[in-house]
Amino acid sequence: MRSLGIGFWIALLLAAAGFLIVPTLILNAPIEPVMGLVQKIFYFHVPCAIMLFLSTFVCAGGSIAFLFKGSERGDRLAVAAAELSVLFGICVLTSGPLWGRKAWGVWWQWDARLTSSLLLFLMMVGYLIARRYGGPAGRKLSAALALFAAINVPLVYKSVDIWRTVHPQTTVVPKLDARMRPAFWSAFFLMTLVWALLLMIRVRLERARGELATLRLDAEDLAEVNR
Amino acid sequence: MKTASKMIHRAVLAAVVLVAATLMTSASALAQQFEKIENIPKQEIPAGRFVGIAYGIIWLAVLTYVLLVAGGLKRVNHEIADLKRRFGSGGDGSRS
Repeated sequence: MRSLGIGFWIALLLAAAGFLIVPTLILNAPIEPVMGLVQKIFYFHVPCAIMLFLSTFVCAGGSIAFLFKGSERGDRLAVAAAELSVLFGICVLTSGPLWGRKAWGVWWQWDARLTSSLLLFLMMVGYLIARRYGGPAGRKLSAALALFAAINVPLVYKSVDIWRTVHPQTTVVPKLDARMRPAFWSAFFLMTLVWALLLMIRVRLERARGELATLRLDAEDLAEVNR
Repeated sequence: MKTASKMIHRAVLAAVVLVAATLMTSASALAQQFEKIENIPKQEIPAGRFVGIAYGIIWLAVLTYVLLVAGGLKRVNHEIADLKRRFGSGGDGSRS
């Protein structure tokens, strides 16, 4: 069993510091005049959405390595990232409607951004289901699904600019009030750290599972020889 | 032939006028039924609670995931140690 690297502990320390600093920055950020207090969901909703996109891309990258080079490492990375996609998808799809209920008066709207985000989330859920219940071909099937999910990401991102939607456009972050930027970017940095830490421990679990499977096969071989 | 065409024309025109008249009557009736309601209770959505729930869900989801992965890692490492202990003398843990 390999020990955790120094990078993991530094990231953990920074994340712990972030948990103290970021809420203070968010509380001190000015209240948005149109939406009011509920706009503060933005500081975690958007970083969660970015982590959903990032996880999907990493999953697709790992899947490509697995599909075309047979890389087990790529496959481990892909499954870890797929789980993170689902995790951050849950965060986005629950924090969004809470914000929407106050800002738009409805929990959900079948507009381009919300619907395509839900589709992306369902694709990543599909990845995990195909992998778990797809039998011997499950890993390849899910890897192919990850490629389609990655293609969907730019569509989700640009949907607010292409179609008329109730969701704010992609210009929100670049045009953010200067006094709100420290809160947003610190929250983004914290979320990225949390994402990286989660990915590291999840890949580690997958590697340990692989090692366990090999050991079990060795044990079976040994039992066969001794018989 | 010309007379029949004229008759159809007139019948269509009469039907259109009849439909328009019916619609206008019902519309004006609806307009007369309108009553201005004063002092409607304003729906107040508690923003603070929503912000709290959103943050709570996000961190609860992350924490649950960390606990699940940590639990899985602990269980798998325990099984690995157990197998190595039982078959340790037989090999180095790699499949030949």
